Amino acid sequence: MSISAHEILVDARGLEPPEPMERVMQTLSLLRPGQTIRLLLHREPFPLYPILAEHGYRHATRMEADGSYVILINPADAAGGQGG
Amino acid sequence: MSQPAGLSFEQAPQFSLPLRFFLTAPLFLIAAAILIALSPDALASRWTPQVLALTHALTLGFLAMVMLGALMQMLPVVAGSPLPALHLVARISHVSLVLGTAALMTGFLTGKAAAYGSGVVLLGVCFAVFLVAAATSLARAVAGVTVNGIRFAVLGLTLTILLGVALALLRAGWWTPPAIESAINAHVSFGLVGWVLLLVVGVAYQVVPMFQLTPPYPPRLSRWLAGALFALLLLHAAAPVLPPVAARIVDALLAAGILLFVAATLHLQSRRRRKLPDVTLDYWRLGMASLIASVAVWIVAQAWPAWADSDAYPLLLGTLFIGGFAASVVNGMLYKIVPFLAWFHLQAQLQATAGSIPTMKDMIAERWMRGQFRLHLIACVLLLGVPFWPQLGIAAGGVLALSAVVLWINLLSAVRRFIAHGGDFY
Repeated sequence: MSISAHEILVDARGLEPPEPMERVMQTLSLLRPGQTIRLLLHREPFPLYPILAEHGYRHATRMEADGSYVILINPADAAGGQGG
Repeated sequence: MSQPAGLSFEQAPQFSLPLRFFLTAPLFLIAAAILIALSPDALASRWTPQVLALTHALTLGFLAMVMLGALMQMLPVVAGSPLPALHLVARISHVSLVLGTAALMTGFLTGKAAAYGSGVVLLGVCFAVFLVAAATSLARAVAGVTVNGIRFAVLGLTLTILLGVALALLRAGWWTPPAIESAINAHVSFGLVGWVLLLVVGVAYQVVPMFQLTPPYPPRLSRWLAGALFALLLLHAAAPVLPPVAARIVDALLAAGILLFVAATLHLQSRRRRKLPDVTLDYWRLGMASLIASVAVWIVAQAWPAWADSDAYPLLLGTLFIGGFAASVVNGMLYKIVPFLAWFHLQAQLQATAGSIPTMKDMIAERWMRGQFRLHLIACVLLLGVPFWPQLGIAAGGVLALSAVVLWINLLSAVRRFIAHGGDFY
């Protein structure tokens, strides 16, 4: 995990389910106002989406050229976040 | 917005529904192991009451018990289509499977027609309820290779049950079906290959890439394999009326299809992303090795009639397939399913974040799962000797019973953690 002022990077590529989800849930509590989680994953995390919504977060997913996914996560009430 | 193909909290059955199946199954494994240990003299032939009773304890009480519970959990996820009236279906099929298996075992052991009769009625209720619900769910399912495999497996189970009911009525003295030997062979091959193996094939397409982080199965294989194996099984059952050459070709293709699945699975597992030790992976590899050995033992019997007619051959084949292959894969999968569900339901109920609940890997101690795998492996090795030296059954049954007890304790430890962290069964 690497943390900057605007972003917390969670590289969960190659982790066994549900470890990527566990890491995201742990990271949510570290998130400060204005920060975004950048999750890297080898497959699209469909089960994560309803859980993020229940916790009040929104996500934007992008597929990379190598077939992996980048998911940006931030609070649903934050202004100027990434659109879904 | 993406299509939600995953497990969402609203879709998932409550934890107690599949869990009752998973926690009952090891008890039948213990019962089978005790029968092996107590009556080594009866292990010399597949037709003794003890062997018939323990075989059905393994196939109905252990394998089918876990498989029905797992399908109730999986169908909403992989097929997007939950079982209708799930609570009712789960409760009825669980109670009737437990009582029906116990009654059938009693029927074999005591020879009492009343025990057979009640066993057949209860098992008939169990599978009628489950199969109608599963067929309804599958009819509405989103198409895919796993759903395709499950459809053929459910067909295989239906044929197994119909043939089993006919055979039980015969044994109870109520009815004499024609061609008994062919009916028994078809019951066994549809049960073990049609239901058990095809279900493992269909589920493998989903769980091997997901949990073992391998590339997907090649679509060229996964699209047709289950259907082809099922068609070959139908021809295999019809072998008595086929020309001998045609029957040989059907058998050879059946063996080739099974070996193709084994080869693809072992190849994918050798290409997994993270090469970390994993008990479930070891169980799968033991299962695949046993499946290769089963096919080898079976091929030898096709070429060598003296071996095919021996008492040891069907016992060895059954031990390799049921104990070495099916029980290993099911045992290994229990170590993913139960911890995953315990974690999943805690997460859902507590809306938990930040390490307030155990991770999935914390649910069962790795050391204990590893120890139980070793016991299972020793039991399998000892059991292979039983068809040749029945007295080995005392040790083999003893180790198998110990292995099943530790499996049960391990599964209960995940449930204990679930309860300790405030989990609710509803």
